[in-house]
Amino acid sequence: MLSALDRKLLRDVGRMKGQMVAVGLVMACGLAMMIMARSLILSLEVTRAEYYERHRFADVFCDLKRAPNALRERLAAIPGVAAVETRVKESVRMDLPGMVEPADGTILSLPEDRPMQLNLLHLRTGRYPEIGKANEIIMSEAFANAHGFRPGDTVEVILRGGKQKLQVVGIALSPEYVFEARPGQALPDNRRFGVFWMNERDLATACDLDGAFNNVVVDVAPGQDPAPVMAEIDRLLEPYGGLIAYDRRDHASAKQLDDEIAILNALSIAFPIVFLSIATFMTSAVLARVIRLQREQIAQLKAFGYSSAQVGWHYLKFSFVIVAIGLVVGGLAGTKLGHDVVRLYHKFFQFPSLTFHPDYGAIGLAFVVSSAASFLGVLGAVRQAVKLPPAQAMRPEPPADFKPSLLERLGVQNLFGPSMRMALRNLERKPWQAAFTTLGLALAVGIPIVPGAMRDGINFLLDFQWTHAQRQDVTVSLIEPTSASGFSDLRHLPGVIHAEPFRSVPARLRFGHRSHRLAVTGVPPGTLLNRALDRHGNPLPIPPDGLLISAKLAEMLGVKPGDPVMMEVQEGRRPHRSVPVVGLITDYSGLSAYMDIGALRRLMQEGSTVNGAHLSVDRARWKEFLDEVGEVPRIGGINITSALKESFRKTTAESINLIQGIYFLFSVIVAFGVVYNSARIALSERGRDLATLRVVGFTNREVAGVMIGELAMLTLFALPIGLWIGGQLANLIVISASTETVRLPLILTHQTYATAVLIVLVSAGFSFFVVSRRIRNLDLLEVLKARE
Amino acid sequence: MSGAFPNGPLFVGRGLTKVYVSGEVEVRALDGVDLELYPGELIVLLGASGSGKSTLLNNLGGLDVPTSGTLTYRGRDLTHADEEDLTAFRRDAVGFVFQFYNLIPSLTARENVALITEIARDPMAPEEALELVGLGDRMDHFPSQMSGGQQQRVAIARAIAKRPEVLLCDEPTGALDVKTGIAVLEAIEKVNRDLGTLTVIITHNAVMAEMADRVIHLSDGKISHIDRNPQRRPARSLQW
Repeated sequence: MLSALDRKLLRDVGRMKGQMVAVGLVMACGLAMMIMARSLILSLEVTRAEYYERHRFADVFCDLKRAPNALRERLAAIPGVAAVETRVKESVRMDLPGMVEPADGTILSLPEDRPMQLNLLHLRTGRYPEIGKANEIIMSEAFANAHGFRPGDTVEVILRGGKQKLQVVGIALSPEYVFEARPGQALPDNRRFGVFWMNERDLATACDLDGAFNNVVVDVAPGQDPAPVMAEIDRLLEPYGGLIAYDRRDHASAKQLDDEIAILNALSIAFPIVFLSIATFMTSAVLARVIRLQREQIAQLKAFGYSSAQVGWHYLKFSFVIVAIGLVVGGLAGTKLGHDVVRLYHKFFQFPSLTFHPDYGAIGLAFVVSSAASFLGVLGAVRQAVKLPPAQAMRPEPPADFKPSLLERLGVQNLFGPSMRMALRNLERKPWQAAFTTLGLALAVGIPIVPGAMRDGINFLLDFQWTHAQRQDVTVSLIEPTSASGFSDLRHLPGVIHAEPFRSVPARLRFGHRSHRLAVTGVPPGTLLNRALDRHGNPLPIPPDGLLISAKLAEMLGVKPGDPVMMEVQEGRRPHRSVPVVGLITDYSGLSAYMDIGALRRLMQEGSTVNGAHLSVDRARWKEFLDEVGEVPRIGGINITSALKESFRKTTAESINLIQGIYFLFSVIVAFGVVYNSARIALSERGRDLATLRVVGFTNREVAGVMIGELAMLTLFALPIGLWIGGQLANLIVISASTETVRLPLILTHQTYATAVLIVLVSAGFSFFVVSRRIRNLDLLEVLKARE
Repeated sequence: MSGAFPNGPLFVGRGLTKVYVSGEVEVRALDGVDLELYPGELIVLLGASGSGKSTLLNNLGGLDVPTSGTLTYRGRDLTHADEEDLTAFRRDAVGFVFQFYNLIPSLTARENVALITEIARDPMAPEEALELVGLGDRMDHFPSQMSGGQQQRVAIARAIAKRPEVLLCDEPTGALDVKTGIAVLEAIEKVNRDLGTLTVIITHNAVMAEMADRVIHLSDGKISHIDRNPQRRPARSLQW
């Protein structure tokens, strides 16, 4: 049985449902964002933890040139090592029917004489290769799906220059390829890159690694620090051409997941705070108005003997209703968005099963946070209402006090008509209300700038990176460094117009206590294809001595041009040299360090060694070129610039569309909600004035004009602030989403600004239209009667 | 101003009836009223609460239309006028004075008047209207800085600044004490005399009847009788 007071609550809420819904929806935006982000974090973390645990994802990883299998025992004996897996790891290429451009991938060995210890596969369908049976492989699921491969199909691969026909016997996933992309690439391209597993003996034979391995993964015992283990691995493997060991933090796939969770974390805090603040203010404005209107009722309730606490609680319940709307809508929307994003994640992350786990803790937290926020919002008004002695509260509120506005006091009053003056004085009388309305509208303007900036940033990046910086049509890399003849083979391929060799060595660049692992690339001076560009997009000359490094890398290392860095090469004789940083490169994808190819070879004490070449190819002979390039021995990978660009564009497009949709919707809700709410409050506060104007002969349109003036002024004022906020917001998001693999430049175009302004003006206009229809229904006769 | 009315009546009402339906209850607020109101007259509508005087005033002012019967203003049919026509009628021809003044709190006295003069066809200057009601020295005051009587006089200035042919006052002294009430009535009287505006005052204060040319007594939605004062008493001499 509802109490009489609760019935009053329900009816009051029913009368002001438009405003309750408007506020509730703004709150819902914040809660949806929070619930979505927290639930995605939970989903990713739970799924990842379970997957890593169950499939024994390794802790430490290391590549080397070649070590005898006997070394496995010594690796296993390193203190703190719980398990060791030694493997053969090689790159493969394949020509696939129906694909003009070649695909490539990584092939890994499966142990035959011992159980698999680490990075266990999740076999989706089919079986493992039979022991002792050659030419059977397991294929990664993403690649298989992209091409429609099934167990029983055969695929022709080129492994160390030799063609092999392999039969797919199983389709699987691996915890080390949750993010299945070519090393260093920002986004997966599952049509052109895949992972394969093959029996150890077969693979070792094909790779001239009989009785040896070239990759090791290690499980560190629980509670053990991996650092000493890595140091010991480095020491043991050094004579075998070992590169430096790294842990999960530097693991390409694991790091991508970490980055994604970090972005979600930022998202789950920043956005809810902003939306909830606006919703709190709106709640406060709406309920303060209700309480002012119900002064006399409050006095009567108190006169009847209701306590201040009871009356206060009654009005606090109004904010509960708003929280309930926000929570229900926000919960549903957050869950729906979460499902959409999880569907999108399936393109990026390969899990045995990634499902959406609603984070009930977050929903609970959302309830607490939004209740607290709206409580705070109404507390002031409620306290004021219950504080009044009944006798005083029964009298109507004293007339509002006005004074000439600041602008008029400055002596420019003749510029304004009465409507404008009313607006100005109203604004000045309630500066906080005006400030928050402006802030809310500014926020609505700012929100859609973010996806616009992202879209433009991606387009700029694509153009800068793959049209201006990397002008080669194809980058061909060799499995191993070879002599000059290797380059000569590439240069003389059909259709090659221009070719430039490159020499790339793995190295650790160290400056003070900071260091970073990457490939240092030697390119010829005056390179035309793979260029290093400065901030303005002008090519930087390759210095005869010293390094050009990515500005982002310089930031990470804390170096500036002129500083010497220690270059610790991890190949060959592993020379360590102090090399000056000569200039900083502007680039947006990956980290680079360039050197003069001659200088690098001198440093390596070698002849004219190359790792591959950048090629410019005559499009007319493209097909011919592709046919021939496949035949060149020892080719590791063929990267086609246009394909990279296209794949990047396609993969990002869907995410951007989803983000843009969400942000546009939020912007519309905030703009509509804020204007609607302000207009309804203005209508309620000044309904009597407006009705009077109607009585004395103002038309509906003229009265609407008086009311619109104030809001129009706030809206216009909010536009530039909103554009600024949007720029800052976009900058913040670009910075927080900037990683080693991709750094979006902040590009703010007139079109983005214009779209944001348009969205807000249209929503505000529509909202105003809805409210102004109420002007028509103003009760003119009521005006002639007693004061409310 | 009493005596002959060479221009003929401004308002002619025949069988004016207004029925309000609220739920299952029908209220006949006006029940077959016939009347003629002439230019320059000062009319007092007297009656108890619910007698129909406010409804009659609303119909005269174009705020409402009768359910049946006819009402014309200078031969123009108000009975079937639409919202737009009524707005134009109020804008051009009618000045209103309300019991609670209904000034816009965010505008000064002068600006409250200017609000109307800016949309009127042939208005007087706001200052002139305020002088007329004796508020020449309060023009730049906001409503919250004025007494009730002063606010009501601003309302009268606002009503007459557009030189309406009709001034409708609904309990103009209802919220005021005697002294300020008299001052307000004097202002109304002056406007009626100086501008020749047909003035209709609603009141349930019988004393005010003495300042009228004619007193229309309403009861149960009908005109019970009409008194004609041979001599109008100046507002200044009224006592209640």
